[in-house]
Amino acid sequence: MLHDMPEINGLLVLPCLRVQNANAISSPLTWGFPSITAFTGFMHALERKLGADSPLNFNAIGVICHAFEPQTTEGGFTRAFRLTRNPVNADGSSAALVEEGRAHLDITLVLGFSSDTLAAADETTRQQTAQRVADAVAGMRLAGGSVMPALPLAGGSSRQRRPEMLPWPLHYQAEKADQAWRRLRQRWLPGFALVARDDLLTAHLAELQTQNPSATVLDAWLDASRLNHRAVRVNAPDTPERVEWQRDARPGWIVPIPVGYAALSELHAPGSVAGARDRETPFRFVESVYSLGQWIGPHRLGSAQDLLWWSDFDADAGLYRCRNAYRPPASAPIPSPSSAEDPLQDPDSPFAYV
Amino acid sequence: MPNLSGRSAAIRSVITAFLLERRDGKLDKLPADDPKRAELLAQFQPAVWLEDAARRVSQIQAVTHSLKPIHPDAKGSNLYCPPPRLAAQTVVGSHCLGESFATDVVGNAAALDVYKFLKLEFEGQSLLARLLAGDEDALAALSDDPTQAHHWAQAFTGLVAPRGRVASHTLAKQLYWLAGEAPLRDADFHLLAPLYPSSLVQRMYEQLQEDRFSEAAKEARQAKKAGEFHERPTHDYPHLAVQKLGGTKPQNISQLNSERLGQNFLLASQPPQWHSRDVLPLLDTDSLFKRFGRRPEVRQTVKALHTFLAANPPKNVGTRDTRDDLADGLIDEFLLFGAALRELPPGWSQAPECKLPDEQKVWVDSGAFSPENLPPNWADELAARYALWLNAALSTTDAMTMGDPEHAHWRNDLRDALAAYDWELRHAA
Repeated sequence: MLHDMPEINGLLVLPCLRVQNANAISSPLTWGFPSITAFTGFMHALERKLGADSPLNFNAIGVICHAFEPQTTEGGFTRAFRLTRNPVNADGSSAALVEEGRAHLDITLVLGFSSDTLAAADETTRQQTAQRVADAVAGMRLAGGSVMPALPLAGGSSRQRRPEMLPWPLHYQAEKADQAWRRLRQRWLPGFALVARDDLLTAHLAELQTQNPSATVLDAWLDASRLNHRAVRVNAPDTPERVEWQRDARPGWIVPIPVGYAALSELHAPGSVAGARDRETPFRFVESVYSLGQWIGPHRLGSAQDLLWWSDFDADAGLYRCRNAYRPPASAPIPSPSSAEDPLQDPDSPFAYV
Repeated sequence: MPNLSGRSAAIRSVITAFLLERRDGKLDKLPADDPKRAELLAQFQPAVWLEDAARRVSQIQAVTHSLKPIHPDAKGSNLYCPPPRLAAQTVVGSHCLGESFATDVVGNAAALDVYKFLKLEFEGQSLLARLLAGDEDALAALSDDPTQAHHWAQAFTGLVAPRGRVASHTLAKQLYWLAGEAPLRDADFHLLAPLYPSSLVQRMYEQLQEDRFSEAAKEARQAKKAGEFHERPTHDYPHLAVQKLGGTKPQNISQLNSERLGQNFLLASQPPQWHSRDVLPLLDTDSLFKRFGRRPEVRQTVKALHTFLAANPPKNVGTRDTRDDLADGLIDEFLLFGAALRELPPGWSQAPECKLPDEQKVWVDSGAFSPENLPPNWADELAARYALWLNAALSTTDAMTMGDPEHAHWRNDLRDALAAYDWELRHAA
């Protein structure tokens, strides 16, 4: 498949980081969690910070959110952002007000890396490296916020709080890899992992187009981002007709998210654009592009691939986007007909589906 | 009028009507003997006004993507990128707008009348669009003198042209994107400058205003409240946030921003809210399901599942998947619930006020038992209780009662999810 996830042979887990005052406005159309591009950007910044001596090549990053505190006003039909009081300009006039949404986050970061030396290194070496990376992260910015050490917990927790470096697939000790993965993901509770649901967007568009052939992916996106209630006439025997307002089933915590950028201009040669941050890098005007994401319990992550995001560039489409290979699990198999618990034996059961 | 085609004449009459209307609007405000009247009459002679407009049009720019919403003090390029010319993507972006998109205007607000002039429609297309497309009749409508008409058309179509040198700004957003292989190599990055998609924002704004405040939406809401039938579904955008752009002077940002009253709507992507600090030990209760069932997310999901099953959906794979997705949501909540309680000091369930059965204690208190002393089959028992609870929660009406097959289904679901935790307990380091 095109745009496959880059190879990894190890995972670096940075558990329970607290990010203060991260940017809660993730794009011109969304708020509520930093854009996933902020995390892939952080990953590249981290690799650069570790420098050429580091044997780690980070290729993908996942995020699990344990707590999220938006700095917004409560009440009313919409939220507004609590603003900071900004210093005045040099001439005493008030500075232009730019509303910035902020949020505090408790997150676990999981980085997928490839390394010739570390994946096979002994545990002590791996732990030392993990600690070194964690120390580097502690001084960094993430989504505009500051990375702080985790808050101490009131009680003891089974959740491991120390950074870890693990080979991938998890094949150490005598454990089976999938058991080790189950154990690892269990530690990320309570929390929610962000995964891509481009499949839902595509499916929803197809569904809308059966009603309205001119429906666009924007219509599908907006429709999936809201709660729809419809009036349904209910007829039951011996009673007058009733009207029931039913909410469209919205299984799972599906959210609209920005996933990257699409080109608006040609790629301008380095140094040809005034006011650019540097004169060595090709420059391009872009706009944010959007898809659907889902917050899922970590125990639903079938493997690290389900969790990890990577950044991708498609030169032909002018598309800079983050990708994630999460695939929803195939539905649980129906119990075999010979089983004593066979729901198919009862034709009235709501489980008698084919 | 020499050689003016019928179409051309019609376009010219639209222009003349526009000028007359503006002129008379201003004249009406003046007393009959005001000397300014003569001035206005001269000023709104078509040739005079067009010449002036052709000069002033350089003070404004038609755009689809603007810079000032990013930061009001940022100075740099704004772009006119008609959506049909953008690359089609499978993701959402301005390209979705197709042919029908609102054009924004940035620049000197005093020159906005020129934009209103260029927006004049004839046969469903604006004058600007016609001039851009090289419509000969529209060109001829500007002036009888072809050279003059051409000169003005050139000036007017300059409305969509980029202004000055391509520029960004220190206050504009700029970010590095790894477009190559090696993060350590500077040459592998592109510098991306996101602009504000004003035309796309406008479309979303109109849709949300319609869904929230239109008469039809209000009627549907009222019908819903009264439990009456209405054709139109209601649409709600949960946790919608509003960002103000331009403070008290939204017109300083752009024309469309001004029409939006400076309000920028933001859809919510936030994770499910879980307030661990509000978690209290389960005391004086003989079942954790009493507390669990009261959680808003749990109640909502149970209700959705109930509504879904009670509606007698077709017996197909789609139905089964939806049901499983909803049931999975409950399992998520249950695992989260246990994990949150296990953050309390271990051993809290030893308190005499804790009346929970053993298999529930294992789940909510990490210090309740040592790994060697776990109650046998605790996961099976807990899963069975869970299934009983869910069946009871769903069987609220006579129309739908849950029985053994459902019980077995819910139980197996949770038992699978608990297996991982059980393994962890027995092999705790």
